[in-house]
Amino acid sequence: MNKKKYVYLIALLPFLVVAVMYEIIPLIMIIINSFQPDEGAAVFTLANYQKVFSKLLYQKAIINSIKISLISAGIGIVIAFIGARAAHQVQGRLHNVFMAILNMVSNFAGIPLAFAYMIMLGNAGVLVQLGKKMGFDALANFNLYTSGGVSMIYVYFQIPLSTLLLIPAFEGVRKEWQEASMLLGASRSAFWFKVGIPVLMPSILSTFSVLFANALAAYATVYALMMNNIALLPIQIAGCFVGEVQIRKGLGGALSVTMMIVMVVMILITNAISKRFQKGAAKA
Amino acid sequence: MKKKNTGAVVAMVLILIYLLIPLIISVIYSLFSNWTGIIPKGFTVETYAKLFRDPDFLASLGRTLLICVIPIAITIVIVLLALFVTVIYFPRLEKYVQIICMIPYTIQGVILSVSILSMYVSNKSFLGNRLIMLIGAYCIIILPFIYQGIRNGMRAVNINVLLEAAEMLGATRIYAFFKVVVPNILSAIIVSSLLAVGIIFGDYVLVRNLAGSQWQNVQIYLYQAMKSDSMKSSAVFCVIMAVTFIIAAVVLYLQSHEGKTAQKAE
Repeated sequence: MNKKKYVYLIALLPFLVVAVMYEIIPLIMIIINSFQPDEGAAVFTLANYQKVFSKLLYQKAIINSIKISLISAGIGIVIAFIGARAAHQVQGRLHNVFMAILNMVSNFAGIPLAFAYMIMLGNAGVLVQLGKKMGFDALANFNLYTSGGVSMIYVYFQIPLSTLLLIPAFEGVRKEWQEASMLLGASRSAFWFKVGIPVLMPSILSTFSVLFANALAAYATVYALMMNNIALLPIQIAGCFVGEVQIRKGLGGALSVTMMIVMVVMILITNAISKRFQKGAAKA
Repeated sequence: MKKKNTGAVVAMVLILIYLLIPLIISVIYSLFSNWTGIIPKGFTVETYAKLFRDPDFLASLGRTLLICVIPIAITIVIVLLALFVTVIYFPRLEKYVQIICMIPYTIQGVILSVSILSMYVSNKSFLGNRLIMLIGAYCIIILPFIYQGIRNGMRAVNINVLLEAAEMLGATRIYAFFKVVVPNILSAIIVSSLLAVGIIFGDYVLVRNLAGSQWQNVQIYLYQAMKSDSMKSSAVFCVIMAVTFIIAAVVLYLQSHEGKTAQKAE
């Protein structure tokens, strides 16, 4: 019987073959590559990382990536909080329409999203023209092709995702708590700041880290808008491998590892803050 | 009480307007030949008619469809087989299968594509074929969704009871798994494959980095059209978004439907 049981391990093989060939080994290789020089024959070098942290372009890419991700995740989470709270309070038809549209729009990203924004706010965009005709300067002089414009598009794709992720968390804020705090004389805003938000904080933080990762890795949207002319990590990483005569495995590897580290650090930070809130809750 | 809800309704309506404006403007743009003033002029559907007569566009749709079907079929089969072995014979291995399936969530497109590319690009065998690389990458990127869908489906049908019953009636375990369990989780498989279709349909990173211009799917078609003809590209945009929304709507419908039958069963 025992021998027969191990025969079935063969069925696990196809899964392992695909996973090892296209997930595990490529990831291990990219880490190993990052410690090997692009030219020369040294076995181990930190030169790639030195380049990443000393060259202005890559420094800027790291800072810009973190900045745009933080801004878009921050704005996204605030709007999501308002939206999810509203969706929790309002039931019936509007609630269903709201959920359906969020679900659909959450697939609206990448090249199509960049295109829609170019039609709307690009150099000859519909709203820009409208702004010119109506003498509305803020709209007429809007420049989509800046890091501010890119952040704005990122905010767009963060909203549906973050609202959908936050809505279930509001189930955890009991109506009785609100009633109790009102009976004790707290205002509505006092309730949310002293009770509601602290209770929701772990969900808010985990959603925030999802949004951060989402923005950090976003590539298609910004590539469609700026091609390779912007200092952002994903763009620089792809630039090392695609469209160059000589593939720069080492440098690209080091940039990839840097991006993964930024992502992990963010997860660790949000987890640590989240734990403090959970501890506080346990004490209470 | 009433006042509280007005604020919430206003917030929801504002968010909906914000989310729908880019879509509405693009749809209008694709239907009018001249929109430089406040009101668009020159209504026409000729752009769409031309688009659907364009063999390049039809070919790109066909390529997109083909590149959806193959990785999804492969991934469903390998995940079903892997779960069959681990759930029935080696429950302790399941944790590792799960970890492997969830890693792609965190690495995402850019890093996955460049790591596969740098690994196989100079390979002289079939592994160096751009399409094979692309199919491999798609299998990995949809793995979390297929895995979760199938695993949740298995939990919902109580697989052990089903298998025991089938075995008592004289079926072998393999037969019972594929003839009894799989049909019972079919709707879960369909939902997760539709989610996967949505992901592959919307992908640009992997196809650009791995296949380059060799495999022009609709996303690449849109990207190239964007540079030359904004009316044509807005029509391509509308076709892509229509397909995406139909997929999302079907998923939503199936999920709510499934939820209802599950509640009834309880």
